[in-house]
Amino acid sequence: MAPTYNIAMVSDFFYPQPGGIESHIYQLSTKLMDRGHKVIIITHAYEGRTGVRYLTNGLKVYHVPSLVMYRSATFPTVFSAFPVFRNIVLREQINIVHGHGSLSNLCHEAILHARTMGLRTVFTDHSLFGFADAASILANKLLKFSLSDVDHVICVSHTCKENTVLRASLDPLMVSVIPNAVVAENFRPLSHPEVTSTTSPTSTSPNHPSTHPTSGFGSSVPPARQLGPHDPITIVVISRLFYNKGTDLLTAAIPRILENHPNTRFIIAGSGPKAIDLEQMIEQNVLQDRVEMLGPVRHEEVRDVMVRGHIYLHPSLTEAFGTVIVEAASCGLYVVCTQVGGIPEVLPSHMTVFAKPEEDDLVAATGKAIAALRAGKVRTELFHEQVKSMYSWTNVALRTERVYNGISGAISEGEFYGYDSTTTGNKGSWSATRGRSGVQSFALIDRLKRYYGCGIWAGKLFCLCVIVDYLLFLLLEMVWPREKIDICPEWPRKMVGKEPNNRRDGIR
Amino acid sequence: MLTTPPTLYTRRPSPTTAEFTLTTCPPLTLPLRVALSLLFLGRLVLVLGVVMVCYARWTISPFYNSSSTTSTTASTTTDTDTSDAVLGLLWLLSKAHHTYLGHLSTRIAAAIPLWLLGLLSAGALYAAVFLRVHTTESLLVLRGLGIQTATNNSLLFGFGSTTRFIPTEKIRDVLINEAFRGFEVRYYLVVVVDGESDVVVVFPRLLPRKDIVESVWRGVRGCLYDSQGRVEHYHHHSPRQQQSDNSGRTVYDKG
Repeated sequence: MAPTYNIAMVSDFFYPQPGGIESHIYQLSTKLMDRGHKVIIITHAYEGRTGVRYLTNGLKVYHVPSLVMYRSATFPTVFSAFPVFRNIVLREQINIVHGHGSLSNLCHEAILHARTMGLRTVFTDHSLFGFADAASILANKLLKFSLSDVDHVICVSHTCKENTVLRASLDPLMVSVIPNAVVAENFRPLSHPEVTSTTSPTSTSPNHPSTHPTSGFGSSVPPARQLGPHDPITIVVISRLFYNKGTDLLTAAIPRILENHPNTRFIIAGSGPKAIDLEQMIEQNVLQDRVEMLGPVRHEEVRDVMVRGHIYLHPSLTEAFGTVIVEAASCGLYVVCTQVGGIPEVLPSHMTVFAKPEEDDLVAATGKAIAALRAGKVRTELFHEQVKSMYSWTNVALRTERVYNGISGAISEGEFYGYDSTTTGNKGSWSATRGRSGVQSFALIDRLKRYYGCGIWAGKLFCLCVIVDYLLFLLLEMVWPREKIDICPEWPRKMVGKEPNNRRDGIR
Repeated sequence: MLTTPPTLYTRRPSPTTAEFTLTTCPPLTLPLRVALSLLFLGRLVLVLGVVMVCYARWTISPFYNSSSTTSTTASTTTDTDTSDAVLGLLWLLSKAHHTYLGHLSTRIAAAIPLWLLGLLSAGALYAAVFLRVHTTESLLVLRGLGIQTATNNSLLFGFGSTTRFIPTEKIRDVLINEAFRGFEVRYYLVVVVDGESDVVVVFPRLLPRKDIVESVWRGVRGCLYDSQGRVEHYHHHSPRQQQSDNSGRTVYDKG
């Protein structure tokens, strides 16, 4: 019987606000609950969303109200959430605090408090950062503070891991890589048979004259889509139109691509400050009939936009993971993307054409992709099944669960890290770099040692913060004693009976 | 010593009637009665003392002579009952003013600056008149009629209470909810009333702990709805289950 945990996911980013971290937390929590764990989510209050809420699958969300009030103030809120956080953790009997997002204040705070209270902590980093500008230096210092005493860190890609290890001076052994996943069922290509028995759109799609209605569920290999030399090719771009998403690159590349390749058109979805540049480019080059701008689309509608195209172009300048290119591949699109950040790790090479993040190379790579599609060298109709087998949230949950097992000592150190410190003969000794459960003690002096190494001034400041936090903890124990806090009754947990690998239903 | 943590007393004279009383007052034993009477006496003495000191302060103020003469002239012109009562009180006070206690209060009044005296006497009067020792809140459930909540007042020695009656046909549900309050998350019992945007919180002052809330909730449901899970005189539209609870759920499932 595998141990089950009570897990608190803490992040400033959660629904109703849409976004990548938000859906990551939701999907991971759902799958962990399917594995028999108890998961709650702690986030701050949104407009009209305060207090304790349940999502339909029994996921409990605490929208902590006071934080927003404090966040608007200039005072750095290192301790303000501690009383509420402690109350929630005690009433829900939490063992593991899992923070998300390096820009989330609440997450860093929660990790500090959780360690003070003697809980295991995990942090998931979703983004890449630079090292040069002042804001990054400050953010990195904050990250270093928060991660000095974390039990384990999860990154969404190897590039992200490298980045995080450097930024927070972590031991690479205590950083795991668990990529994001997609709900492949929500990103079916047009020609793919529906999972549920609704009317199949294949027979009524005028966009794809070559699609044949597949004979049913048994046919594992859909027929190849053949594009003639003069069939129109649609290139889809879905991204927020910001500088870091490479919109400038896109603005420069579109006229050249359209000039080189007749019978191609663009569909651009998304909004942002760079939208005006794109519109200007369309006006100047008179491309209104070949570039369609859709404006912002909701996440549910992304699939409907994607299936209108043949190529997905992703010109981003920095990206930790790039869930959207997985979604595009799952929709059966050939992906052209810049070779930055974690993107090269995401998809196998037969699904993508890589470009350097520069105008000429992007144009050339797009040309290559168009040529390959016209020559029929790419079996895009197979992408969906391949993506489906590569990425699933159940797998993410399994791997996250292994991290939980590792930090709580349920699996041995050697099994978890592939390296056993007991064989080197210093069992129980403290090591500055290794945050090892069982070895990593909650003693205040050990924690202070870890923080002290953060910098000449910062180390002392961090130590001060930790001491104040500890004193605050003692005060809270006196003012609101543990035995006066009511324990929440639990929902009946799901039993882990059958192997969840072959489960495809119950995604939502 | 004078108070206890909120304690629940349940009275069920019939299966269709129940009263849940939550109070911080311990059972009235003889020592407690003596202590409470002493407390009452103390409050009385405090009020009288404040009045004496204020009167003494007035006698040493520069307005004393002129105002006393005007009051005597006023008494000669108007001869109503109220002025008689006021004059009688003033006469009593002037008599008391010449006793030893009066001299003492004069010395106190002279020693304390006027603003401080005003503040102190106001505070003392508030404490003596308004501060309650015990809080009692109750919930009366009558099947077919409705629910009545009662909270005792903070007015004048804590007598009197505020009640609210909710007829059965207005009750949409009785449930336990969770909410942030101050620095903690609390369980509380609410009545969802038809046509009102706000719910009615039961025991709003004492906000008892989960075990009490839960037992009251079970009691209310058992009393309000019969074993078939139906409400008399009112068809139940949307059974909502906020609290994972076995007995509550079985009641719903049968209905």
